[in-house]
Amino acid sequence: MIYQQLVNGLMLGASYALVAIGYTLIFGVLNLLYFAQGEVFMVGAFVGLYLVVGAGANIYGAILGAMVICGALGAVAVFVAVRPVAKDRPLAPLISTIGLTIILQNLAVYIFGGQQMAFPETMEQRLYRLGPVTVGSAQLFILTVAIALMVLLWLFIARTKLGRAIRATAENHETAALLGVDVDRVVLITFIIGSGIAGVAGVLDGIKNSNISPFMGLGAAVKGLIVMLLGGLGNVPGAMVAGLLLGMIEILSAAYIGTAERDLFSFLILILILLWRPTGLFGTRTVEQG
Amino acid sequence: MFDGLIDGYTQSILIFAGINVIAAYSFFAPFKTGQVSIGQAGFMAVGAYASATLTQKFGIPFLIGLPVGALIAGVVGVVVGFPALRIKGIYLLLLTLGFSEIIQVVVLSWDYVGGAQGLRNIPFNAHTLDYVIVVIIVTITFFGRLERSSLGRAMDSIHQDETAAEVMGIDVVRLKLLAFGVGAMIAGLAGALYAHQATYIDSTTFNVMMSVEILTFVVVGGGSTFWGPAVGAAGLSLLPELLRSLRDWLELLPVEWTSFFPMNRIYDFLYRFLDFENAKRLIVYGIILIVMMIVRPDGLLTRDSVPHWRGARRKAMHA
Repeated sequence: MIYQQLVNGLMLGASYALVAIGYTLIFGVLNLLYFAQGEVFMVGAFVGLYLVVGAGANIYGAILGAMVICGALGAVAVFVAVRPVAKDRPLAPLISTIGLTIILQNLAVYIFGGQQMAFPETMEQRLYRLGPVTVGSAQLFILTVAIALMVLLWLFIARTKLGRAIRATAENHETAALLGVDVDRVVLITFIIGSGIAGVAGVLDGIKNSNISPFMGLGAAVKGLIVMLLGGLGNVPGAMVAGLLLGMIEILSAAYIGTAERDLFSFLILILILLWRPTGLFGTRTVEQG
Repeated sequence: MFDGLIDGYTQSILIFAGINVIAAYSFFAPFKTGQVSIGQAGFMAVGAYASATLTQKFGIPFLIGLPVGALIAGVVGVVVGFPALRIKGIYLLLLTLGFSEIIQVVVLSWDYVGGAQGLRNIPFNAHTLDYVIVVIIVTITFFGRLERSSLGRAMDSIHQDETAAEVMGIDVVRLKLLAFGVGAMIAGLAGALYAHQATYIDSTTFNVMMSVEILTFVVVGGGSTFWGPAVGAAGLSLLPELLRSLRDWLELLPVEWTSFFPMNRIYDFLYRFLDFENAKRLIVYGIILIVMMIVRPDGLLTRDSVPHWRGARRKAMHA
């Protein structure tokens, strides 16, 4: 029983982690709470749905398409709501990206209507028994994609030149620029990567819950924020671990305490972390302004 | 006060715009000391649920329920304000967000206040508009006087530089707590007024998006001067209605003006575009937020614009 719950928690946590990675990447390079991340997640789910139903794509096509389109959306966000806005006022980019959030959500309501839509079955459902745990093929698929994506991203950040440039920019804009990093380009790439990952998370969520709605973004956004904080602001591996951790905590508290307390637990964790360990579980560079 | 002067639809639009103005000041109070909150809707929920419980379950008149609800929200505000003292920036944003989410979970799982069904049959207050107007006048007067008082200047100095303010002998802790508590109390007023106008509230009424909207009111209107929140909240809440009425104005144009190319195409496009359903209106709202932040990142009204008018008036008087 407990093993089964842990696997379920892992599943939930994987999608939290994917959303939070985008947040934490963007926060890292810009010190910006990028509010539209949840809506990008929602757009990803709808792109996936459209590709499967409208264009007859298989699930890989849907994931790839959502990644590309949401990545492009990240680039649009940079050009429309980040670059033209004054950088010396901490609230201005927050508000402009909130504007983007409102636009995206209502664009989705306008195009798809305000109701829930069924996400199509894209793979045959088979059950695997692994010792004490039963896992469906869809669940296994979600977990594999999510973990593969996280490993790839980690390798990218840790090993490539561009990844190093992102880390340098996160450390300090001026120093990075002096060392020859094109900061504007790094910010753009960070938004594209963060948004693309959120898009994939949206499709995976569609598969998991088998329905999606234009309002699914807000919940994902809030949980993503908690995970970002739990992992340490700007700390990418921290967000990965914290996402999985929060997923398991939520599932376990829902199973053994009560479903209503499940959300209460995650917000209590948020507040406890803020008060006693604002650097998150795995540390962060110190951040004063937000 | 306005019976028979305006129809019910206009009245309800004005009431909700007025409640937004009050809510904007609830954000402005802590913001004056540099504290940015996206949990003001949580305090509105406290005021709304507290006052509605009193009036609906105990039959207490609204005139008493309103201040009691606001007071309870204020006390909760001070309690939240204590941990808020230690953190700032994004951490404070997240703390206030977490607080308002906890309030949502609590009212959702507390059956005494309706739980998931929400609190129904709250006694309707027929004079909400009068109350709203009085509260707005009192609030604006308060913040107007505050701006020119030593207390207000002390708060501004905390906003500018907390350490410098402390060195100057300003009691930073007390003022920040006071500002947070006053803000929560004003939010409680807004929530109580909302509950007795809508007569139905549930756990999703006062959600994150509402807190975010309150924040945008102040930033768009201008957070550095006391007129800013009123201008931002009234402007952004009435804007959709103004956009809607643009279409009526369009119909007033003489036919000769719009019957030839390319005017006919432009007319058709505008006419169709101004057919505002909620989603389209909100899209325009989002676009305006982005444009505002590009064009005037300090908000519509700033310290520069307000004294300028005042100076001009004084000059005119002396001339």
